[in-house]
Amino acid sequence: MAENTTITQSKETKDLLILLAQTQKKCGFLSEETLANLARTLDMSLSDVYGVATFYSFLSTKPLGRHVIRVCKSLPCHYKDAAVIIESLEKTLGIKTGETTPDGRFSLELTNCIGACDKAPAILINDDVHGDLTVDRIPQILQAYK
Amino acid sequence: MAKEIEVTLNDNKVTGAEGMTILDLARAKGIDIPTLCYVEDLLPTGACRLCVVEVEGSRTLVASCHTPIAPGMVIQTHSPRVIEARRQIVELMLASHPDTCLVCDKANICELRKIAADLDIGLPRFRTRKHYFAIEDVSPYLVRDMSKCVLCRRCIRGCNEIAKKNVLGMAYRGFDSKVVVDCDEAINTEACRDCDVCVSLCPVGALSKPRKVEEKRRGKVQVIKG
Ligand code: SF4
Ligand code: FES
Ligand code: FES
Repeated sequence: MAENTTITQSKETKDLLILLAQTQKKCGFLSEETLANLARTLDMSLSDVYGVATFYSFLSTKPLGRHVIRVCKSLPCHYKDAAVIIESLEKTLGIKTGETTPDGRFSLELTNCIGACDKAPAILINDDVHGDLTVDRIPQILQAYK
Repeated sequence: MAKEIEVTLNDNKVTGAEGMTILDLARAKGIDIPTLCYVEDLLPTGACRLCVVEVEGSRTLVASCHTPIAPGMVIQTHSPRVIEARRQIVELMLASHPDTCLVCDKANICELRKIAADLDIGLPRFRTRKHYFAIEDVSPYLVRDMSKCVLCRRCIRGCNEIAKKNVLGMAYRGFDSKVVVDCDEAINTEACRDCDVCVSLCPVGALSKPRKVEEKRRGKVQVIKG
């Protein structure tokens, strides 16, 4: 992705999402301070900036672990028992959805459809898609992420 | 003068001025279409879908509050399909609404209750799933109980368009959606003074004034049939 300086310095409301995504990439999450600064630069209310930041599953307002697991919660995956996958991940990692392991290795998040419905139930770990998941395969998949 | 447009409204040929919405025209002709998110003085957002009507040739029902009339439109405002859709919308709203009407300060002036009564909504058909948020009562000017919010955005638009304060915003997504102040802070006196715009716009009990001792409930007692 181009680290486009013209965009980074943008003061236009329509560039909010790009600015949020860039900051997320650079800092790993969007702090209240970051959001407040953005709101000031773009002359928007903090509520609106926070609204956009919390709407998207790939933006986070709290620090995340080294690897982010995103379980698809949309309908096709739901029908293929995504709930079982979530439960099993929570058990294996010892955390609840929305939390990060104490060692900072994994964060467990939910996301909307990631376009892997043909391989439902599907999860994303960082940028890798893992589809046709079964509970048995989970420990082995997680091993690859240190 | 605006151009006159001819449309068919519930089988009658009628005319309305160009730029009018279907809702404007229907109301002018004495037809009552229920609305929840629509407020005359605010920009329409089409958030609640309660005002849907059937327009011939359109695959889906259209929201009358923000759809302008067009020449030759054939509109049905109370067809069985429309009534069923409206009922279902209200039923879904009630499915996540806390059962606190008995003790709600706004019970007698609640628009949601009135609409539910008008549409003859009976016992819940859907499995209910409530969302509970802590009541925000730090401000001396208003109390926010977001568990009762129906996400009509009237408060947000009122704050932006009438009070011009831009205090409120919509955050999160889907079932988790919530009207927030800043980064989801409890509303306090720094963010908001007592202009009361949002309180007077809220159709349900989500926004209200702190109740004074011995103050009576507003409105006459609503009798719900069923
Ligand atoms: S608080 Fe009231 S006015 Fe605001 S969105 Fe919720 S129901 Fe509508
Ligand atoms: S629904 Fe899960 S990937 Fe599309
Ligand atoms: S009144 Fe038209 S969508 Fe709410």
